[in-house]
Amino acid sequence: MKKLLLVILMVALTVFSFAQKRVTITMTAGAVGKELEVLYAQLDRFMKANPDIKVSVMPMPNSSTERHDLYVTYLAAGEKEPTVLMLDVIWPAEFAPYLEDLTNDRAYFELDKFLPGTVKSATVNGRIVAIPWFTDAGLLYYRKDLLEKYGFKNPPKTWDELVKIAKTITAKEKNMYGFVWQGARYEGLVCDFMEYLISFGGDVLDEAGNVVINTPAAVKALQFMVDLIYKENVSPRAVTTYMEEEARRVFQNGQAVFMRNWPYAWSLLNDPKESKVAGKVGVAPLPAGPAGRSAATLGGWMLGINKNATPEEKEAAKKLIKFLTSYDEQLYKAVNAGQNPTREAVYKDAQLKKAAPFMVELYGVFINAEPRPRTAKYSELSDVMQKYIHAALTQQMTAQKAIEEMAKELNKVLGK
Amino acid sequence: MLELKAKTRETVVAWWMVFPALFVISVIAFFPLFKTFYDGFFEFGLNPNFPRKFVGFRNYVELFIHDPRFIAALKNTIFFTVVSVALETALGLLIAIIVNQPFKFRGAVRAAMLIPWAIPTAISSQMWKWMFNDQSGIITKILERLGVIEPGFPILGSPNTAMWAIIAVDVWKTTPFMALLILAGLQLIPEELYEAARIDGANVWQRFTKITLPMLSSTIAVALIFRTLDALRVFDVVFIMTRGSVNTETLAVYNRVLLMDRAFTGAWFGYGSALSVIIFALISIFAIIYIKSLRLKLD
Repeated sequence: MKKLLLVILMVALTVFSFAQKRVTITMTAGAVGKELEVLYAQLDRFMKANPDIKVSVMPMPNSSTERHDLYVTYLAAGEKEPTVLMLDVIWPAEFAPYLEDLTNDRAYFELDKFLPGTVKSATVNGRIVAIPWFTDAGLLYYRKDLLEKYGFKNPPKTWDELVKIAKTITAKEKNMYGFVWQGARYEGLVCDFMEYLISFGGDVLDEAGNVVINTPAAVKALQFMVDLIYKENVSPRAVTTYMEEEARRVFQNGQAVFMRNWPYAWSLLNDPKESKVAGKVGVAPLPAGPAGRSAATLGGWMLGINKNATPEEKEAAKKLIKFLTSYDEQLYKAVNAGQNPTREAVYKDAQLKKAAPFMVELYGVFINAEPRPRTAKYSELSDVMQKYIHAALTQQMTAQKAIEEMAKELNKVLGK
Repeated sequence: MLELKAKTRETVVAWWMVFPALFVISVIAFFPLFKTFYDGFFEFGLNPNFPRKFVGFRNYVELFIHDPRFIAALKNTIFFTVVSVALETALGLLIAIIVNQPFKFRGAVRAAMLIPWAIPTAISSQMWKWMFNDQSGIITKILERLGVIEPGFPILGSPNTAMWAIIAVDVWKTTPFMALLILAGLQLIPEELYEAARIDGANVWQRFTKITLPMLSSTIAVALIFRTLDALRVFDVVFIMTRGSVNTETLAVYNRVLLMDRAFTGAWFGYGSALSVIIFALISIFAIIYIKSLRLKLD
């Protein structure tokens, strides 16, 4: 009997210690375009190289707003899952109290080799709370074939030029919209709005964090967006219900001349199985406004570690993040999912140049992309902006009134 | 003397036997309710930077006096509730009367009728959202052909149509529920009443208003309370179809903004709790009106 007990104990111990060695961590992931497929392939490689770590993926809604809600629930409840959080570029300040401080791991993650702008957006009050995974910037997609057919040699340099080209082509082509973008009431609307706003010479907050939105330039920028729909008839009225994927579907079905979207759309648009416009698409920087410059909103996602995870899980999470943000994996992701690298050196890679030439050609756009207002109250700010921009786009109030009301409410939000 | 002792002992035993049920109810129903009431008197956020501060009724004052967004959401919620519940009751009554008549395949029809109710709202809302899509949506296409709307008109992106589209989805989904409840009520009415009325020479309309409706009133009251309660806290259908844009924001959708978007960014959690209390109060008011006006006995 004693012997039997001893054997059982030994077996139990072995199993236990074996189980201890294998750490399971969870990570959240998006499924925009080919993102999830690519991630699964990467995780397979990671787990082969690290048999002691098991990574399970927690797929998340594509809408950034809904992901935010889920994170709030997990983090406020003090859950240790998910271990690795995929964070939108606008969240670090808000979630910083719940994220592991990675400042001392600067060298481990080789952050000096990353684009400085992306590292800056992962830094909150001097603390690094996440590692940039991929970066994004708003781009103008256009139909090369149609522009050529109607004698336009280059993509538009200014917004006025875009309107002119779109009008010329839609007048002759059947069943064709001029310009599709993201006009639904959600985070993406703020991204689109910022591009008009800055290219028209306005801004939301100044360096000191004061609200400076109430200017004639901002009114003109918003009025221009409204006019695209109702005056110039270049954008469909339904653009006020579009997010990224709705816009992409219209463009991909060959029903629009221009589209504003993120880099991820490139590989999907050029997939002949899915897309009717494969090989006919060009990418350019967004047009410039009266301020004489063009602006692309900085997007992108980073990976942070949940503060409530156990030390072993945190170690495993660091390994995973280091792997996913390594040169090779960033290149793989860029080539296959069309998501821009955050490491500078990857942009010089010949393989990337072949797969996504625009990433290399438009390098300047990516490093100069404009961040959205930096504040820990960003979600509140964004919610207010979405409300008034959308009210103007659906003609519930004039652009003038929308900007005035927006300024008033933003002051209230930041004052609280 | 002996008898009395036995009685008290019985009472004690009874209390012990009821205790588990009472305990469960108080943990899952009363505790959250009181906690919400309590939280409504404070200002705080989930982020440790926004600690609890007692503010009395200030959250309520703010909501009603300084928050136009809340007032708009309140109006939208009441409009949605009144219109959708009225339509659902009228259609439900009609359908219940029809499927109460004997006809071929009645069983199959009754079962098929329940399909919309069986689909989870999140899924049916997404399905309808696609049907309202400007490019490929079947409803948009049909309305375009009929000349009701111009091509490319975004039904869910226009202030005049979005709320009606949402109401249509809700009516489609919950009319079967109403019909089912009313059908059960109809089957409880004894056939003799109608026979007697027929002998007395009452016509169809008289039989309907003098027998069917009065006999159904308590069933309808219960159905109305159920539906109104649901409608006043409507969230999923609105959030999925429009996210509260173009003037469709309801109280629950606004509350999501307060409790989720702003959970870590400011001291809004008490404010959101106060808003929840208002939804609760609103539901109580509607319930009392129904109970009083339909003379429903609750026992």
